[in-house]
Amino acid sequence: MSDDPIADLLAGCAAADRAAFRTLYRDSSAKLMGVLLRILKERAEAEDALQEVYTRVWLRAGRYDPAKGRGMTWLIAIARNLAIDRLRARPATSSDDGLDLVQDSTPRAETRLIALGEARRVSDCFATLEPDRADAVRGAYLTGLSYIELAARHAVPLNTMRTWLRRSLLRLKECLDQ
Amino acid sequence: MTDTLTPQDADDALAAEYVLGVQDLSDRAATETRIKRDPAFADLVTAWENRFAGLNDGFEEARAPNLLPRIEARLFPAAKSARPARLPMMRWLSGAAFAAALVLVGVATLVPPRPDLVAVLATADNRLSYEVASYGDRLQITRVAGVPAVEGQVHELWVIAPGAAPVSLGLLAEGPLVVTYPTPSAGWVLAVSVEPAGGSPNGQPTGPVILTAQVGANI
Repeated sequence: MSDDPIADLLAGCAAADRAAFRTLYRDSSAKLMGVLLRILKERAEAEDALQEVYTRVWLRAGRYDPAKGRGMTWLIAIARNLAIDRLRARPATSSDDGLDLVQDSTPRAETRLIALGEARRVSDCFATLEPDRADAVRGAYLTGLSYIELAARHAVPLNTMRTWLRRSLLRLKECLDQ
Repeated sequence: MTDTLTPQDADDALAAEYVLGVQDLSDRAATETRIKRDPAFADLVTAWENRFAGLNDGFEEARAPNLLPRIEARLFPAAKSARPARLPMMRWLSGAAFAAALVLVGVATLVPPRPDLVAVLATADNRLSYEVASYGDRLQITRVAGVPAVEGQVHELWVIAPGAAPVSLGLLAEGPLVVTYPTPSAGWVLAVSVEPAGGSPNGQPTGPVILTAQVGANI
């Protein structure tokens, strides 16, 4: 046993332990459903994606390496990647979607972040960025905004957005890795 | 201005863009290919996943329905299909031999062989995806995304050795397909065609081939 119960359950899945898989679903599906709903915004599609996520988790559990990160981080990465792939495969978003995204400015997430150690560091490092750039990075991570959507939201050309974001990310890295 | 980044910084920025998910579908697919082929780059991606993990508290939990029965139906062969095959053999056995056989079955169940992913058959948008894993002497094909063929049709899986005609490995229905077959060599092709219910009438693909993948490529 380790201090990471999700990692232990993933080790069980890698050894084809179906009981571990059931426990993993019980203990992590609400979080992953939250991730999928936040990004995909439609419950039916999120539920379909949730099935796909856990199918992948079982098939890929042997590739999870606890030395490289926590179990929940790995699970959330699978869920986010899948949700973003689905989002990008959708036909171009309408302007209504754009309005919806602007309202989703994640202050609640930010407040909750402040309480926690690792999250605190992320929050401190975000604070070193210009507020609109920090907002762009957070918006992309939590709601799956694309470069095109970010550029529209911040009213800058696509290439400018890209340059901004890449520089902000490298600054974030410098701060987080200190 | 991005061209002023050093190659290392450009790689790191690309890994971060991938983790954030801001790329369009084709750039994402290109980055995914790089992750699979370049372990050093894959480590950059993992490092960004860990850096952003502090934001994961921003995802509120949401009520998840119990989808386990449907997920397990995709992943695990139905018990009824596995058992009858063993019964005729049991009739041959008696006494000690029967006990020994039970022990062997028990050991096989306790220590399942680790699967080895040999191919992913997926549409470009990943709306339909099958994964093929080898368990040494058998292959298991699992539907990861999408639905089986519509009523009256069925997805049929084929293996094609270089220069040879396609050989059917079986029909892909609701649950996984388990077939006794050795691990196909790298470079062999797996394909899925749409066939009338019951499978191809002539032993060769007759309907459209909707998915193909080369063994060992891009997984």
